[in-house]
Amino acid sequence: MTIREAVHALRNRRLSAVELATAAILRIDRINASLRAFITVTSGYALERARVADAELRSGHDRGPLHGIPIAVKDVFATRGIRTTGGSKVFENLVPDYSATAVARLEQAGAVLLGKLNMHELAYGITSQNPYFGAVRNPWNAEHSPGGSSGGSGAAVAANMVYAALGTDTGGSIRIPAAFCGTVGLKPTYGRVSRHGVLPLAYSLDHVGPLARSVYDAALVLNAIAGFDPRDDSSSRHPTIDYTPEDGASIRGLRIGFPQNFFFERLDHEVESSVRGACARAESLGAVVKPVLIPEMPAIDAIGRMILLAEASAHMEPYLGERHRFGPDVMSLLEQGRLVAATDYINAQRLRRRARSQFDRLWREVDCLLTPTTPSAAPRTGEPSARLGGAGEDPRLATTRLVRGFNVLGLPALSMPCGLSGSGLPIGLQIIGPAFEEALILRVGAALEAGGVGIPPCQIASA
Amino acid sequence: MKDWKAIAKGAGLDVPGPDLDRIIQALSGLDEAFRPLLTDLSPEIEPATVFHAEESGA
Repeated sequence: MTIREAVHALRNRRLSAVELATAAILRIDRINASLRAFITVTSGYALERARVADAELRSGHDRGPLHGIPIAVKDVFATRGIRTTGGSKVFENLVPDYSATAVARLEQAGAVLLGKLNMHELAYGITSQNPYFGAVRNPWNAEHSPGGSSGGSGAAVAANMVYAALGTDTGGSIRIPAAFCGTVGLKPTYGRVSRHGVLPLAYSLDHVGPLARSVYDAALVLNAIAGFDPRDDSSSRHPTIDYTPEDGASIRGLRIGFPQNFFFERLDHEVESSVRGACARAESLGAVVKPVLIPEMPAIDAIGRMILLAEASAHMEPYLGERHRFGPDVMSLLEQGRLVAATDYINAQRLRRRARSQFDRLWREVDCLLTPTTPSAAPRTGEPSARLGGAGEDPRLATTRLVRGFNVLGLPALSMPCGLSGSGLPIGLQIIGPAFEEALILRVGAALEAGGVGIPPCQIASA
Repeated sequence: MKDWKAIAKGAGLDVPGPDLDRIIQALSGLDEAFRPLLTDLSPEIEPATVFHAEESGA
């Protein structure tokens, strides 16, 4: 069931919020031990909030489509009175006395918080093999990676434990688990959703967004969390709109850019075939598919890596003397960041400004871009090397290669499932638009979804 | 070519030898991709340290 379907069931009194929350809790009890999607389950709190939601609906106080809907958030969002670990030993006992703006807005919209989701330690990696809270498993195949860093968010949504989840995305950390777990994941424009109350990884690259089981549901969550927040210095005053796509929304005449460089180099042929299939479907729905050359993507990737190393190490500096409190992969990245020269960081931020200016010229030619989200479906857990296009590649760099650039550019990007690999693993399609054009990329995603681009539900979801 | 071992020493980075080699390998690869980008960076381009997505130079 999607949020949209649950909304009708709640309004028709076929189901209550308490029944939805109870079903979610029972399911989490049954499968979380194997998936390790949650770090903290807030059953008592959720039931209390669900009872309030039911009472409000009975009295005619309807908070909107998220009213009474079970959700969960990555354990990087501050939650008042609920432990917030960042997936890290460093913050294992942190209990905030306030909630992150995005969490507060979800609760204001009536969503019922089921708990805090497992993740890659400090959101600094893409495997979600957390050394302290256990390795998150992919619901499609437990031997394969769920992606990360928001791996618990992807797994919990795919496995039907919650209807939607919040994640964060600094170099693909929403879109990668969405692609590997077969969910929809949206990284909005930088500044569209407040970062206030989110443990930072890299201040100028961090984005907050939803993972959900349909494009429409992702839009419903965005509606609740988007908007200016004076407590976040990067928050934008750009006006918010209703992001939900209309039923039967058309993409006729829309100019879709299909990259002729970078995005289809060194990738799995099954991924290429599925993404080309989605593009053909867009064309059959009336979109005008235009081949385009994308400027500077390898350079933008290098710029993003330089900024990430420096910013992550800067804010973790007070803790770096205690090596035993970090996993070896995260410690290695934090130590790399300590060796980045200040001049290189500043120049990376100058190059970023120039790259954004050059990239924006592309929007004169096309309205949005279609690319793969990742160059392969979920790799086996612990694979030491990614073999793509006949060459070995660092799995972290390979997995982030097609997504990181849009964190540097701050542009909105949606990942949605577009097929299954021969071994039955989801493949992700990425739709990128100009700044603050979330509604456009959601409309494209919804049209493709309605046009048959997608995958069947994960089998564990109906178990 | 940067002398990463000297930079690590100067930064007081106390890391076991094999770990330091891995760090140096990763940074050298990044530096190789990053350094050439600086050659035609004109002085009027300011850093996007407080980055706002509304900005567009198109």
